[in-house]
Amino acid sequence: MAAHTLGGLCRPRLGFLAARFSQRAAAGTEYRSAYSLDKLYPPRQDGDAAASAPEETQPAALDIPLARLTVSYCRSSGPGGQHVNKVNTKAEVRFHLASADWIPEDVRQKMASMHRNKINRAGELIVNSEESRYQMRNLAICLEKIRTMVTEATEQPKVVSKETTQKLIERVEKMNRERLRQKKIHSNIKQSRKADFD
Amino acid sequence: KEKRRGRGRYGGQKCGRGHKGERQRGNRPRLGFEGGQTPFYLAIPKYGFNDGHSRRRQYQPLSLQRLQYLIDLGRVDPTQPIDLTQLTNARGVTVQPLKRDYGVQLVEEGADIFSAKVNIEVQRASELAIATIEKNGGVVTTSFYDPRSLEILCKPVLFFLRGQPIPKRMLPPEDLVRYYTDARNRGYLADPSKVAEARLELAKKYGYVLPDITKDELFKMLSTRKDPRQIFFGLAPGWIVNMADKKVLKPTDERLLKYYSS
Repeated sequence: MAAHTLGGLCRPRLGFLAARFSQRAAAGTEYRSAYSLDKLYPPRQDGDAAASAPEETQPAALDIPLARLTVSYCRSSGPGGQHVNKVNTKAEVRFHLASADWIPEDVRQKMASMHRNKINRAGELIVNSEESRYQMRNLAICLEKIRTMVTEATEQPKVVSKETTQKLIERVEKMNRERLRQKKIHSNIKQSRKADFD
Repeated sequence: KEKRRGRGRYGGQKCGRGHKGERQRGNRPRLGFEGGQTPFYLAIPKYGFNDGHSRRRQYQPLSLQRLQYLIDLGRVDPTQPIDLTQLTNARGVTVQPLKRDYGVQLVEEGADIFSAKVNIEVQRASELAIATIEKNGGVVTTSFYDPRSLEILCKPVLFFLRGQPIPKRMLPPEDLVRYYTDARNRGYLADPSKVAEARLELAKKYGYVLPDITKDELFKMLSTRKDPRQIFFGLAPGWIVNMADKKVLKPTDERLLKYYSS
């Protein structure tokens, strides 16, 4: 049964969850086969450097502080019979955009200008979703929408360097020159086949 | 104005059969016949949508609503790890191993009303179902049972009456190994640290605060899990359960012990 020790991996973030498997059962009371979790994933004794390196490479999804958001549920619109009439499935998430510290300042301003229509007079950005039958999924969709908004506002316009633009222009010119050269050669061939009267 | 009716048991006069022809005489052609034109069900070409349908793996759905219903009625005990045996004893699901059923799958229906802290082990689970159970402080694990082990799991008493030693559970086939070693599906062969990370990720995605189960009083129960080769909690492969004498016989020969712990 599960008693996988993760004593070596005491990262502060995951410490409280790694302790889930930190009990070591008394040997002999529990059955252990060759494929038990301790044998498949032996607890590593090496330093955290090897463990933390593969983590940083993946882009982490934006951390949205749930305590700063106001979440409310209400009934969705549209067809659906008794279920849509009675069950609160539409999720609405609001937060005050100007005081959201978890978004960088310039991104906040960009968002304020991009999503002007979604901000009310009190300055709260409102995102709602009623696409799914489940409240939890609608909440997840709202959070995903917020993340997309932040990503869109963060992206910078692509700056093409001078060298690259020049290279591109040179390439186009070279293509045209080559095309015209081939055209002249072909024209000469056709001319040479012509029989003149002289 | 009242409808004029004929007399007689079946309505009288023409008895609703119409006037002459195949209709009245009861000689209409078979269903799907279109008077000689190639019928629809023959004109459309075949395509392999249903190829091998009788050999596909099936999983009996278990909705969260049904699970909540069973817990509320007291048919399933949330203070013990919930297994297919518990569900079958409570008559919550009926699994037919002979009809290519490979177990039970967790379905999202009832995700909004689910509020029970359970340690549940199923064969498949969807993402929202996993998120709901973990939000309420529970633990989900997906594990594989080959058909023989599944039958033993669903009907343990009948198996014990046979007098055979408990076999070891087989490992999943090639196409399922990937599913059960993935932390996102909470597979029983997945790395526990990755499972912990996946729990955090789901909490971020679905917008709930992941409750800390280590501080729970039922933490020991919530973290009990079966060994990949084990079928029952508390019974190891190789043991024989004697129902008549209420005894458990364990093998002592080292070759047998080596075989059953491989």
